Amino acid sequence: MAGVGLTPNDGRWTAAQTRAQFAAIAQLRWRITVNAFRRKGGAGEMIARIITYPLFAGFAFGPTILVGIGAYYFALNGHLDHISWLLWGTFVLCQLLNINLGQPGTTFDPTQLIRFPLSLGNYVAVRLFFGLLTPANVIGSLMALAVAIGATVALPALWFYALLSLAIFAAANALFSRMVFAWVDRWLSTRRAREIFTGLIFFFSLGFQYLNFTFNPAYNHHHQTNAVSAARLNAGINFYHHALPFLAALPPGLTGSSLVAAHRGQPLAFLGFTLGCAAFAAAFFAVFALRMRTEFRGEDLSDQANAVSHKAKSPAKSIAAAPASSPAQPESRFLGLSSVTTAVLGKELLYVRRNTGIFYSLVAPVVMVFLFAGRLATHSNATWLFPAAMAYTLLGVAPLAYNSFGLEAAGSQFYFMAPVRLRDVFFAKNLMNFLLAFVEIAAVFIIITVIARMPSLLNAASGLLWAAATLLFSTTLGNRRSITAPKKITVAKMGSGKQASPLSALISMGLLMGSAGIGAGLLFLGIFFGMPWLPLPIFAVLAGVAVFVYVRSLDSIDRFALAHRDELFEELCKK
Amino acid sequence: MPPAIAAHSLTRSFDGGFTAVDRIDLAVEPGQFFGFLGPNGAGKSTTIKMLTGLLAPTSGSIQILGEDMLNNPVEVKRHIGVVPEGMALFGKLTATEYLHFVGRMYGLDKQVTQQRTAELLEFMGLANEQKKLLTDYSHGMGKKLALAAAVIHGPKVLFLDEPFEGVDAIAAGTLKSMLQGMIARGATIFLTSHVLEIVERLCSHIAIIDKGHIVAKGSLDELRAGVQARLAHGEVADPNAKLTLEQIFINVVGGESGATHPEQELQWLG
Repeated sequence: MAGVGLTPNDGRWTAAQTRAQFAAIAQLRWRITVNAFRRKGGAGEMIARIITYPLFAGFAFGPTILVGIGAYYFALNGHLDHISWLLWGTFVLCQLLNINLGQPGTTFDPTQLIRFPLSLGNYVAVRLFFGLLTPANVIGSLMALAVAIGATVALPALWFYALLSLAIFAAANALFSRMVFAWVDRWLSTRRAREIFTGLIFFFSLGFQYLNFTFNPAYNHHHQTNAVSAARLNAGINFYHHALPFLAALPPGLTGSSLVAAHRGQPLAFLGFTLGCAAFAAAFFAVFALRMRTEFRGEDLSDQANAVSHKAKSPAKSIAAAPASSPAQPESRFLGLSSVTTAVLGKELLYVRRNTGIFYSLVAPVVMVFLFAGRLATHSNATWLFPAAMAYTLLGVAPLAYNSFGLEAAGSQFYFMAPVRLRDVFFAKNLMNFLLAFVEIAAVFIIITVIARMPSLLNAASGLLWAAATLLFSTTLGNRRSITAPKKITVAKMGSGKQASPLSALISMGLLMGSAGIGAGLLFLGIFFGMPWLPLPIFAVLAGVAVFVYVRSLDSIDRFALAHRDELFEELCKK
Repeated sequence: MPPAIAAHSLTRSFDGGFTAVDRIDLAVEPGQFFGFLGPNGAGKSTTIKMLTGLLAPTSGSIQILGEDMLNNPVEVKRHIGVVPEGMALFGKLTATEYLHFVGRMYGLDKQVTQQRTAELLEFMGLANEQKKLLTDYSHGMGKKLALAAAVIHGPKVLFLDEPFEGVDAIAAGTLKSMLQGMIARGATIFLTSHVLEIVERLCSHIAIIDKGHIVAKGSLDELRAGVQARLAHGEVADPNAKLTLEQIFINVVGGESGATHPEQELQWLG
C-alpha cells in the first residue's frame, strides 16, 4: 500500500491539474451515459432513444426553420423591428421546453463534486456547461442562429451585426434558463414548496385562460356581443402598446432594436442595444453564480433537515396489558375490497396528494382542455371535441401504470416480503389510476359543457367506452412494464418527474395514439355512412375484451412478478 | 504545530428552527485517531459534513491543518479524504472508472492514478469486481470502495462516517490495519461509528455529542475517570470496575428510551 497517508500532493496546484479535473468530469458524464445501456433493459432504452431522438430533432428543426424564414421575411420587407416577436417566441419556447424536457444533472447529483478540490470558478463553469447543453438551450441557440441567418440572407450587409447580437441574445436566453432552474431546484427541494409551485402554475394557466377568454374574438360566439368583444380587444391592444416600452427594454426587444439600428447605419446605437442585452446576460449569470456559490459552500436542502424541529417528548403512554395472543379482528371490507387493496389504495392516495409531479401531470391536460375547448368548439365539429379532449386527458393518467413502483423505490420489496398477493397490490394501484381517470374525464365533461356545449348521450357513451377499453389495455401492458422496466423516481428535482422508462413512455404513447386513431377512424366511418351509433357497439365489445384481458393478466401477475423480481429490484433498490 | 482539526463555536441550524449542532469546540492533534460518538440524530454527520466542506456552518470557524475551511476550502480539500454518510458513489460507473475519476479530481496524474487504483482494488479485495457497475455492489463492497476513494490521493486527514457498517469481519480487520498504518505514518483520522468496540480499540481520543452539544471529550482514560468519579458519588455501580466505552457512552448520554417500563410494554410481542 505505498502512498496511503504518506504522499499528499503538497506542490502548487497547476493548470494541467485543473484541465484534468474538467476532463475527468466530462469522462464521468460520458461513462454514465454509456454505462446506462449496460443494465437490463438497456437495449430497450437504446431503441427508444433511436426512435425518439429523430422525432425530437424534427421537432427542433421545425421552429428553427420557421423563425429563419420569418426573419428573412421581416428583414426583406423592412420590418426588422418585428424580429423581436420571433425572439420572444424563441424565448418562451425555450423556457417551455426546459420545463417539459427537464434539466441536466438527473443522472448524477452535481453537488457531489464539491467534496473534491474544485475551485468555485471551476464549479460554476462545470455547472454552467452542463446546463447549456440542455435540449431546450440547444434549440434556443439554433433558433437564434436561424434568425441571424435569415436576416443576413435578406440583408447581407448585416451579417456581422446579426451574428453578434443574436449570439449575445442566445447567451442571455440560455443563462436566463440556467438562473431560473438553479433557483427553482433549490426552491423545490421541499415538498411544501413543490406544492406551492404547482399551485402557481395552475393559477397562471387559469389567468392566461381568463385573458384569452376575455380578449380573444374567437370566444364571442355565445358569451358576449361583438361590440363588447371589440372593446375588449381594443383594450388588449392598448395594453400591448403600453407594455411595448417595457418589452423593448428586455433582451428580445433590445436585440430587435440593435438590428434596426445596424440597418440604419447607427453603430453606436447598435452597440448600446447589444451591450444592454449583454448586461442582462451578465446579470443572469451573476444571479446563477450566487446560487452556485451557496451550493459550493455546502447546504442541506432535504426535507428531513429543514422540516424537523425538536418537539417536547411526550411522556411514555401507559399501555394496558393485553393478552399475548389476542384473537384476530374480523377483516373489515370497504366496498367489497380486500384489506390489502384498501390499504394500498389509501397509501396511493397519500402519494398522489404528496407528489406534485404526478398532481401536475394530471392537472395539466385538464387545464389545456380548459384553455382550448372553447376555441376548438368554434372551429370544428362538436362531435370530435369530447373524444379528443378525453384522449388528450388520458395522456396524464395512462403512463402512471407503466411505473407503479417508481416512487416506492426500495420500499417495493415490502410487497414481496408481506403475506399479500401482488394481484391485490396491482389492483389497488390500477384502481387509483382509474379513479383519477374518472375524475379527469368528469372534469373535462363539465368544462366542455360549460365552455362549448354538452356532448350528446351517444357521443359521451362512445367516448367513455373507448376510454375504458384504452385504459384497460394500457394498464394491462403497464403492469407488466412496471415489473420488467421500472424506473426509480426522484421527486426533488425539476424535470425529474418522468414517470416511466423512455421505452415504456413510448409504448404508452404509441398505444394511446393507436387507440385514438382507431377511435377516430370509427367515428369518421359512422359519420361518413350516416350511422353515428356505429362506434358504440364496437367500443362496447372492445371494452368487454379489455376487461377480460385485464382480469386474466391480473390473475397471473403474481407468477410474472416473482419470475421478474430481479429486474424490479435491480433498478429500484440501486443506490 | 496547529491542530489537524480545530472547530470553534461551530453551529448549524436549519430552516425549520432545528439546531443540529450547537456551538461545539473541537481540537484534534496531528496523528490522533479520534472517535466522534453520539446517539442517532445527535449531530455527528452534520458535524462531519461541516468539517469536510459539504455543509456550510451557520456560525463558527473550522481550521484543518491550519487552513481555514471557510476561506480556503479548495486547499483544505486537497489534503483531506472523506467517506461520507451514504458513501456518495456514482452508481453508473465501474470501480476502476470511479477511482480514476476521483484520482484525477484530486490532481493525481494518469499513471499514478492507474497504479493506485490497481493497488487499492487489490487491497480491498475488489479486483475481481472492478468491471461491475457500482449500483450492483453490495453495501459492504461500496464501503470498501468509498474508503479506497477517500485515500487514493494520500490525505493527511481522513474523515470516516460509519466506515465499517456492512463490512465483513475479514475486510474490517484489513481496513483497521490500514488505518492504523496511516496513523503510524502521521495521518489524522476522525471516525464516527456506532460500533463502540471498534472505536474503543482504535481511537486514542474521543468526543461524545448529544443533542448538538459536546457532552464529553478526552482520552479514553480521561472519560473513564470522569464517569467513575461520577459513579463514586452515586449508588449505581462498582466505581473500581474498569468501564467499557459502551458503559461510558450510556452513562454520559443517559440511555434514554421511549418506554418508562419496557418490560411492561408491547406485551403482545411473542
